[in-house]
Amino acid sequence: MLETFIQSFQVKNTYRVNTFIYSLKQIPILGKVFKDALYSNYALKLLGTLVSIMTEILSIFLGKFLYITIMVFAVITLYPGTSTVNFVHVLFFLTLIGALMNTYMFNPTKDKYYAMFILKMDSKEYTLSNYYYTMLKVIVGFLPFTCLFGILSKVPLWICILFPFFIAGCKILANVYFLNKYKRTGIITDENHPVKWVWAWTAIFLILAYALPYFGIVLPLPVACIFMVLITIGGIFGVFYLQKFTLYREIYKIILTNDNMNLASYKTTEISKQTVLNRIDVDTNITSHKHGYAYFNDLFVKRHSNLLLKSAKKISLTIFAIIVAMTGIFFVVPAFAEKTNQILLVMLPYFVFIMYCINRGQEVAKAMFMNCDHSMLTYGFYRKPKVILNLFKERLKSVIIINLLPAFVLALGLVFLLAITGGTTQFIDYPILFFSILAMSVFFSVHHLVLYYLLQPYNAESETKSATYGIANGLTYLFCYYMLKIQIPIFTFGCLTIVFSILYCFVSLFLVYRYAPKTFHLKN
Amino acid sequence: MELKVEHLSKSFETKEVLKDINFTFQEGKIYGLLGRNGSGKTTFFNCLNRDIPFEEGTFTLIDKEQSRPLELEDIGYVLSTPNVPEFLTGREFLKFFLDIHQDKLDEKKTIDEYFEFMHIEKEDRDKLLKDYSYGMKNKMQMLVNMIADPNVLLLDEPLTSLDVVVAEEMKQVLKSMKKNHILIFSTHIMELALSLCDEIVLLNHGTLQEIDRSHLTDQELKDKILAALTEESSC
Repeated sequence: MLETFIQSFQVKNTYRVNTFIYSLKQIPILGKVFKDALYSNYALKLLGTLVSIMTEILSIFLGKFLYITIMVFAVITLYPGTSTVNFVHVLFFLTLIGALMNTYMFNPTKDKYYAMFILKMDSKEYTLSNYYYTMLKVIVGFLPFTCLFGILSKVPLWICILFPFFIAGCKILANVYFLNKYKRTGIITDENHPVKWVWAWTAIFLILAYALPYFGIVLPLPVACIFMVLITIGGIFGVFYLQKFTLYREIYKIILTNDNMNLASYKTTEISKQTVLNRIDVDTNITSHKHGYAYFNDLFVKRHSNLLLKSAKKISLTIFAIIVAMTGIFFVVPAFAEKTNQILLVMLPYFVFIMYCINRGQEVAKAMFMNCDHSMLTYGFYRKPKVILNLFKERLKSVIIINLLPAFVLALGLVFLLAITGGTTQFIDYPILFFSILAMSVFFSVHHLVLYYLLQPYNAESETKSATYGIANGLTYLFCYYMLKIQIPIFTFGCLTIVFSILYCFVSLFLVYRYAPKTFHLKN
Repeated sequence: MELKVEHLSKSFETKEVLKDINFTFQEGKIYGLLGRNGSGKTTFFNCLNRDIPFEEGTFTLIDKEQSRPLELEDIGYVLSTPNVPEFLTGREFLKFFLDIHQDKLDEKKTIDEYFEFMHIEKEDRDKLLKDYSYGMKNKMQMLVNMIADPNVLLLDEPLTSLDVVVAEEMKQVLKSMKKNHILIFSTHIMELALSLCDEIVLLNHGTLQEIDRSHLTDQELKDKILAALTEESSC
């Protein structure tokens, strides 16, 4: 088993090192200097190995540190009562959620596929050796932070030490349950697609974890400790079950070949492509009376209504519900209305980030590639400037309309909220607020589509080949995130937004018309 | 009509895949492009189809004493893995294609006539392309390339994965197309190249070399090709 583990670890390490070198080659301009010979460069391999080791160490400690800090320690400072019981209470219930939501064993990942199906490693040995290693990482990774933050919360040291073992025990027992369920019923668990009861379990324990302490109700320390000890002991017995279980290969054959994956040509890109492909509406009664490019685009939008229209409608409904809920709260808590009014008057930049989050442009562009351009770009006629620009126009109209639906609800809702929370001294703020939200929506619609056309990042195998595209998207996110910190009156920021959006649209459209015929092709 | 390839060179980093290729392809012929794995057949096609940049080279189409650069609309490219927009039905794909090419089509047929020609069954015509079999997708790809009526048709191992019936149908389609067109057919299968193609061209060590098949039996031709490839590879 140790040998299998060492081999699988070496494979994972090689994959990480090559990914590191590959990412160097993807750096714009600089990447062109690097040649393929880099993959055989000893010094670089060594550097890659160091990066790999650091990534491994970070994966052991960083996530756990952030988890305990943000999800537990920071939250309990908000609760009344003693921090000791609150710390134990919150971490106890979160652990019960994590046991089901983060099983490791039922997470379909490519390293498992490579090891078991490509490299033909023994499934049981591979699974168990890597699982024990993961459990070891759980214990070693949690121990310093349960001790540190536990002691800061005045939790007895022995409980702090017990916690990592309890977490591992919970995970092991959850896996025992899922394996046994498969053996009895043939029903498989896929961590990435939790079933309804797992979601319900998560919701219930989230409420138990976070809501109860707010009202001073917590799990008594002795009860929590008894459960923790019992589950830890149960976990030890669980290991015997894992050792006895024999159907690992059978399970992974199902997990790694479910409708999200394609065993024959398994790749992460293949998964995402398959996922997008599955979103095509199979109803062939859907028709269009349009002609040419408009016909083509119309059918694309209609056959992807699940992906495009329905999510826009859902977002719109959610925004509507939030606005109705806030209106209700204003009547109960007038101070909340006053605060909201103050916020609305100066926090318009905040909505740049909101509009960025709810805009479907990036997902639409991805669907366009995976389900349409991926195949069509191999046809010469499809790359002719006239065709590219005609289709771009049709697509832009669709994307803008799709995104305007939630934007319209939000814009109207904000105007309404501003009016009922005390209004503004300047009437002009209302139309400015309304139109600036719409302008932001149009801006993001144009932005995502233009980026896609100018930097078309995918190759024929649907792999992302343009680091520039990633950087551009990253910068967009940073810009929007930065906006969260800015406070400017509605009139000033609204006018700036509208003018900027209009100018940006003109400049981008010019760039697309000028350069897209050259840039819009499959990457090599 | 002739397609003249002049001084075509393409390298991937330090590896020279195509070395100053000069070759003239003529109308009315199917050229069988043979070469070993990695010899650059697909790269050659990708250069012609402007899918990848290349260091040097020009492609000229000479028709009735008039010459002009090869344009995108002159080329049809049939890939070994058929690419079709999976969200459309076969009929919708054809309708879209006919819509945008209607001003160029000399002979107007109905959509069903095209389907008949390509032996696509009635019950399959209104199915989503994502539910088409590999062979049917291949037929659709070939069909739209035929309708577009390009001067040059590049075929990158299009028959390799087809069943014997579909492969035979496609061979007949290709033979019927060669008049007024230049067809360049890349394959690994020597028998297929010999039975379908009028000319055999070897791509080896970055250069194109035409094999003179006159006065040779099939077996003698095979031996000659193998000898050429073996000789080249042992250089």
